[in-house]
Amino acid sequence: MTQPIVVIGGGPAGLEAARAIGDLGVPCVLVEARDRLGGNPDSASYSTITLDRRTAREALDTMIGAVTDHPYITVHLETEVVGRSGHAGTFQVSLQKTNHRNGSVGTAVDAAAIVIATGFDHFDPGRETQMYGYYEFDDVITLVDAERMFSEHRFVKPSTGEPPKRVCFIQCVGSRDRRIGNEYCSKVCCGVASKQAIEIKQLLPDAKVWIFYIDMRMYGHWEEKIYWPAQEQYKVQYVRGIVTEILRKGDSLLIRGEDTTLGRPMEIPMDVVVLSVGMVPSTGTRHIARALEIPQDKYGFIDTPNVPLDPVSTGVEGIYVAGAAAGPKDLEDSVGMANMAAMRAVALARRQSLVAAE
Amino acid sequence: MATTVEALAPYAAVPLEEKERLLAQVQADPRYTDYLFGCYECGICVAACPSARFYDFSPRVIAQALAREDVELAYKQMNEDVWECSQCFSCLRCPRGNNPGGLILIMREVAVNNGLRSAREALEGYSRIIYKIMSTGTQVSPDMIRPDAFPDWGPTAAATADNLTLWRRAMPPETMHTTTASWEVAESTLEELYVIWHLTGVLDMIKAIDQGLHMILVDVMEETLEERGYSL
Amino acid sequence: MIPHESAVGRAFKRDPEQAPTEDVRERVLELEAQGEWIVHRVPDDVVLLDTKYGRKKKIPLRHTWHHKSCGQCGHIPGYSTSIFWLHRKLGLDYDDPRDQTSCTAWNYYASATSNSAAQAAVAVRNFAAAYQTGYYPIIHCGTSYGHYKEVREELLRHPELRKEVREIMAKLGKPLVMPEEIVHYSEWVYAIRNELAVRKVLDLSTITVTVHPACHYYKLVQEDAIYDPDIYGGQRTAVVTGVATALGAKVADYSTWFDCCGFGFRHILVQRDFSRSFAVQRKINVMREEANPDVTLTHDTGCVTTLDKSQFAAKAHEQFAGKPDVPVMSEAQFAALALGAHPYRVAQLHWHAADYRPLLEKMGIDWQARWAEFEADLERLRRGEVQYLTWDEVDAGPGPAPVLKPFETARGVAVVVAEEGRKA
Repeated sequence: MTQPIVVIGGGPAGLEAARAIGDLGVPCVLVEARDRLGGNPDSASYSTITLDRRTAREALDTMIGAVTDHPYITVHLETEVVGRSGHAGTFQVSLQKTNHRNGSVGTAVDAAAIVIATGFDHFDPGRETQMYGYYEFDDVITLVDAERMFSEHRFVKPSTGEPPKRVCFIQCVGSRDRRIGNEYCSKVCCGVASKQAIEIKQLLPDAKVWIFYIDMRMYGHWEEKIYWPAQEQYKVQYVRGIVTEILRKGDSLLIRGEDTTLGRPMEIPMDVVVLSVGMVPSTGTRHIARALEIPQDKYGFIDTPNVPLDPVSTGVEGIYVAGAAAGPKDLEDSVGMANMAAMRAVALARRQSLVAAE
Repeated sequence: MATTVEALAPYAAVPLEEKERLLAQVQADPRYTDYLFGCYECGICVAACPSARFYDFSPRVIAQALAREDVELAYKQMNEDVWECSQCFSCLRCPRGNNPGGLILIMREVAVNNGLRSAREALEGYSRIIYKIMSTGTQVSPDMIRPDAFPDWGPTAAATADNLTLWRRAMPPETMHTTTASWEVAESTLEELYVIWHLTGVLDMIKAIDQGLHMILVDVMEETLEERGYSL
Repeated sequence: MIPHESAVGRAFKRDPEQAPTEDVRERVLELEAQGEWIVHRVPDDVVLLDTKYGRKKKIPLRHTWHHKSCGQCGHIPGYSTSIFWLHRKLGLDYDDPRDQTSCTAWNYYASATSNSAAQAAVAVRNFAAAYQTGYYPIIHCGTSYGHYKEVREELLRHPELRKEVREIMAKLGKPLVMPEEIVHYSEWVYAIRNELAVRKVLDLSTITVTVHPACHYYKLVQEDAIYDPDIYGGQRTAVVTGVATALGAKVADYSTWFDCCGFGFRHILVQRDFSRSFAVQRKINVMREEANPDVTLTHDTGCVTTLDKSQFAAKAHEQFAGKPDVPVMSEAQFAALALGAHPYRVAQLHWHAADYRPLLEKMGIDWQARWAEFEADLERLRRGEVQYLTWDEVDAGPGPAPVLKPFETARGVAVVVAEEGRKA
């Protein structure tokens, strides 16, 4: 009898890992702290998935459908993992309900392996060292605020409820920054911003849209599938030069930067400014690293010491990681890691069951 | 910021070794590695820079010139552009942690230490400030507000100058009834300051750009320093 | 919450656990433990204020050694006088030393006729002088403050610089001293702002203020500056703004808030067209057009100088002819006036260039009567009846006398105002 594998986190990586484990005929316990599955695409109301432009809802429903009522998968909602004992092949994992904090009775699950898929949080722009005024100006929003509006098929100035005429994106907010301490690149924001720029132009064809960037990170086919159409079909203006200040001037927001291509300072009034916020370790990730005693990297993501050829092993044998809990990942990375982690976990569980049988 | 062949032409006659020597001094400064990491040309420093709005000046181009070890461009900058910086340190917003204003300070010190003509020219009219701090322990003083020195400051400058001694007595703080210094600095304090200038080599820096001023300062400080066992 | 109501209800929570930098004060104390220097501890009566990453900074209330500013004492004497007057009004003792040099940052920043060692030696010489009196240093000038924060960083990072400076101090018979906190006077004014508010005698509700924050205060060593979640959502430094609001004035925003004033150190002397143009076009005129302020307040010598002195010549320019001056002063002078200080004996406004008289009228101050009193003082001085104006003559005035009572600070820390133990 193969012991189950515990998957922690019900976002895309966790859903994919659970499905893969279940499809291989191994029992899977999927633990999710919220009251529903879906992770960030659900909680942050993502509207479309970057690249193929399916709605996030459709993609998630497919993934959630694959684990719900699956004969091998048990889903625990509103549940957290609070500790573990044992070692690879023979863990005991302690679970606790999140809404019955005091005096609640926890349960323990025997598990052969654990897969962490606790994802990321979006960078809080209040921590930015540039003067973006997110907490002062309602019309400064983040990618998340924009996605929420797109899910409702609209895009408006929060202060008036009216559609804007001039919108800009500022890249690298909370990423690539030594002063904030997040030196890494968050990988997806260039693609997401360009996707959103296209969506704005589709909703508001007369709007002018700019993207202010340091580099445009368009890996592989994002280049011709997102970047070139944004510029060529939708006339999104890409300007090389990051904005340093946003202040109110009259009814507009004034953005201040250097147009490095033309070598001169620029001040341009905007109606809405979208901050392309990066990824930081989620509270769930920080919590699980402590609860399971797993090493983190200097940023607080789960450390994966054997990259690039083994992106799923952590510092603890038998515990694997999938998705953005390990650092900035796009969806392809996350589902790829999820399947690799599932494979490694299943292999461990099978070896363990052979050992136990002797 | 002008970086073309035409812009560099005035310095074509200076030997390459000389330019390399000065760049090496900048790079050898202990503060250099605190102030220059990498530069990904985001332009935040230029966007925040007040001098960039009024002069053909770019802290980004200065950081780039040093990062690339562009000897010719760095030499031109040491001779011209660095004097346009207004030392506000808005450029410390740099997400890489660079300090272009700090790099400019190092370049200016190298220009001064090597007696570059640009340094001397840039500091003309500045010698009274240096003289004032060296001799009184305060950088400026009430008697420096004169209409001939600050004609654009309006009638207050004249009123101040005309009534200076009287107005300086008409304020309660006991240390501020001074005209030739901003406040009354104790003799012993001044002596300590002289020792600091002497031991840290500041007097030599001044000698390199303004020998007249240097002579005056030596005059002021010599006796005091000799009494304490230092010879200039 | 300044300066707006959020329709979307965002509120920012700073988490000190996520501070990206190490706490420099811990390193300062480590070096003391290693015998490298003596740390001058902040006296016991402190107010705790939040800095940029949510750490707490200790601000001493009393028993302070005032590191004066040369441009301030020299050209804007009402600035220093007001700072001392506020201390006296609240019964908080201080020392105004003669054993103090200018920070000499002009030499370093403007003319480059100085170097790291000289600057560091000047700084620690002043710190040692304070230490030897037992009074805790508090810095008047924004540039001195920013510069000393830089010096602290350099000394922490470069042991050879510490060694050089220690040897120089030894030759002067002084120990190597580093204060536990480097404190700017505007942090002290901010810390006592509620205490100032209860003592004010003027109604400032019709006064519109624009704030100009000093570059060197918050851009140098960015972490060490005061931020408050209730002021600008913790996104801009809270000093000066917090004081103006506590005193009941309206603070108006403008689109060049973060811009430098244009002082430039060197430029204000030898290239004044830059300073003048910058101050008027980027700051004063923008404030005028967007905020229409009755006064602009700042907390640094250079900023007061540039903004105040640049306006006259600009009036010759067609674009600015006929426009009213925007009066310029420090928040200390503004607070002193609000508490009943004499505009000439204390705030010394006759040294200011931009016309402040409409502001005084709006604040309910009869400047003509006050000027007549001051002219009478000048006459007494001229005739030799007295040598100087003294504190006795200006301490008396309308308003409640200093009272010994505990008061709550903004953060709920109760502090007892000290006995009147003024240093003679």
